[in-house]
Amino acid sequence: MSDFVFATARYESGDWDSAPLVPPNIIDTIARYTSIDVAPTGVVVPLSSPDLARYPLVFLTGHLPVRFTKEEHEQLAQFIDRGGMLFVDDHNHDIDGAFHKTASEEIRRTVGPLADLPNDHPIYSAFFHFPDGPPNTGHELNGWGDNLLHKHLLAVQREGRIAVLYSNKDYSSEWGYHPDNKRFLAVDNTRFAVNIVVYALTR
Amino acid sequence: MRSRVDSRPALEWVLRAGSLALLAWMIWLSTAARRAAGEHRVSSSATLGDSLAAWTLDPRADSLHAALDELPRGEERDWLAALRRAGATVTWSSPASTPVALAVEALNDPAGGVRASLAAPSGALVVVSDSLGVLDTVVMAGPSAALRARAVLGGARASAGGASASAALRDSLVQRGVAVIGRAGWEAKFVIAALEESGWKVSARLAVAPDIFVRQGSVKLDTASTGVVVALDSTAARDARAIERFVRSGGGLVLAGDAARSAGFARIAAGGVGTRVRSVAISFSDSAPRRALGFYPISARADDVVPLESRDGAMAVAARRVGAGRVVQLGYDETWRWRLQGGSTSPEAHRAWWSSVIGSAAYRAARQSTLHGETLDPAPLAATFSALGAPVAPERAAPALQVRPGLRWWMLLMLLAMLLAEWASRRLRGAS
Repeated sequence: MSDFVFATARYESGDWDSAPLVPPNIIDTIARYTSIDVAPTGVVVPLSSPDLARYPLVFLTGHLPVRFTKEEHEQLAQFIDRGGMLFVDDHNHDIDGAFHKTASEEIRRTVGPLADLPNDHPIYSAFFHFPDGPPNTGHELNGWGDNLLHKHLLAVQREGRIAVLYSNKDYSSEWGYHPDNKRFLAVDNTRFAVNIVVYALTR
Repeated sequence: MRSRVDSRPALEWVLRAGSLALLAWMIWLSTAARRAAGEHRVSSSATLGDSLAAWTLDPRADSLHAALDELPRGEERDWLAALRRAGATVTWSSPASTPVALAVEALNDPAGGVRASLAAPSGALVVVSDSLGVLDTVVMAGPSAALRARAVLGGARASAGGASASAALRDSLVQRGVAVIGRAGWEAKFVIAALEESGWKVSARLAVAPDIFVRQGSVKLDTASTGVVVALDSTAARDARAIERFVRSGGGLVLAGDAARSAGFARIAAGGVGTRVRSVAISFSDSAPRRALGFYPISARADDVVPLESRDGAMAVAARRVGAGRVVQLGYDETWRWRLQGGSTSPEAHRAWWSSVIGSAAYRAARQSTLHGETLDPAPLAATFSALGAPVAPERAAPALQVRPGLRWWMLLMLLAMLLAEWASRRLRGAS
């Protein structure tokens, strides 16, 4: 049985499936750089399902407003309490956007308030080294969205480990391409995904 | 035809022989009576101390019986044993002969605690107490039982049926760290989490790519800094020789999942690793949660392997001693599912199980306790049997010699009469 299965959260509100190419791209990156036993295809797991506990790292993205149902709220709270990690990416890369405002509020209500993650956090050296913190995305550099270069990721930490990792950098767009197209990049821009997965598997 | 004169010598021989026999009987009777006069009986344990002093000073006290209300204390037992070794016949009896034994030991757990192990007859009500009062009461469902307590102040005591055993912690533990070696994965993550949440100091080396590891602290394979190594999978085999040295010098090793399949661990593993068996339960029940885990059956390789847990006739957990250390082999893998997918108490149960596995294998560095000088009696009945032999019913314990009053005088008169008759016969027939 594969140890690591990349799971994408499906939730009732919003557009949970806005970045369908991200999972295969991250799976490709994990297989390319590490010896982690990774399943060749990802899964979609309902946020309200007890099956959430089968995948201790879950990816959640979207553009639209997020409002967790009671079941989603309860399952997510239990998932985090038991050591699961949620990686949330704002597909809008817009701090005034509907997704950011509603998702950060839902996270605050379920797990706790988000706070800046220091750029020397171990996640930035878990595999590849990112001495300046989270890598910027092309969408940030092009001035789209909120026209900001977000210096930090946000996180909710529990007992010294990241329970929720939240990004305004729009990795969903940055990583949303077919893995074969990596050959056209001078530097693989999905390398930070390896750090997230390795951090989740070891901390 | 023989004359009366001819038969007299024969009669005289009979009288002489009868006199000698009578004399011998009187001498034996005198000796036996003297022996019987030296016996003492104790009807109450309260007087045993004084009686022992009296017996020791009485030269006639060579047959002793202690009829006790309760089992003798340690020093009384030793005194009786000393009298026995000095040549006295010592017997004992007591209605309080319930066999009860007690041992207490510090748990090898960062949370601390003490385990009291009891032995008593099935069905007996055992009261366990310390210097502050009653810790617990146990109705024995079998010949042995164990209970955990946060601490024991002074000595612990287990009382049942009038018998009482006492014991105290002889040492305290110096905790060492835990080193986790394996592949980066959910099992590694949640084993480390469970151990850290239990209070263990954990170092780890987790493989993420060929020759690339994620490290937590520094993994040191020596008993000065590490108590137990957890090998989660075959990646630990690259350190197999160092781990074997560590175990033989007193360290503990937990071989989880298929780690024991590595040839490097063949000499120290509890057994071989069979084909993985899928879980037999869909959900994690509170009563038998590990039935919902898959496992690798363990086939014992050595005679000294101790099965600790079985499932459907196959060994799931086994242990053995290797050199000065211990190896615990877990057939279970993916125990993280128990923590995440189990019921409301599963995180605590998963944590406690892993902590107990580590505690059972870990190197136990003991330091001297400050508790000295207290007289302890962990198994009083067994110690009494060992020192004095089996108890003897009071009525069977060397009964006093009964001699009818006046018998000795009748015997003396008869002896004198026989000697006189023999003398007179010889004089009358003219013999010298």
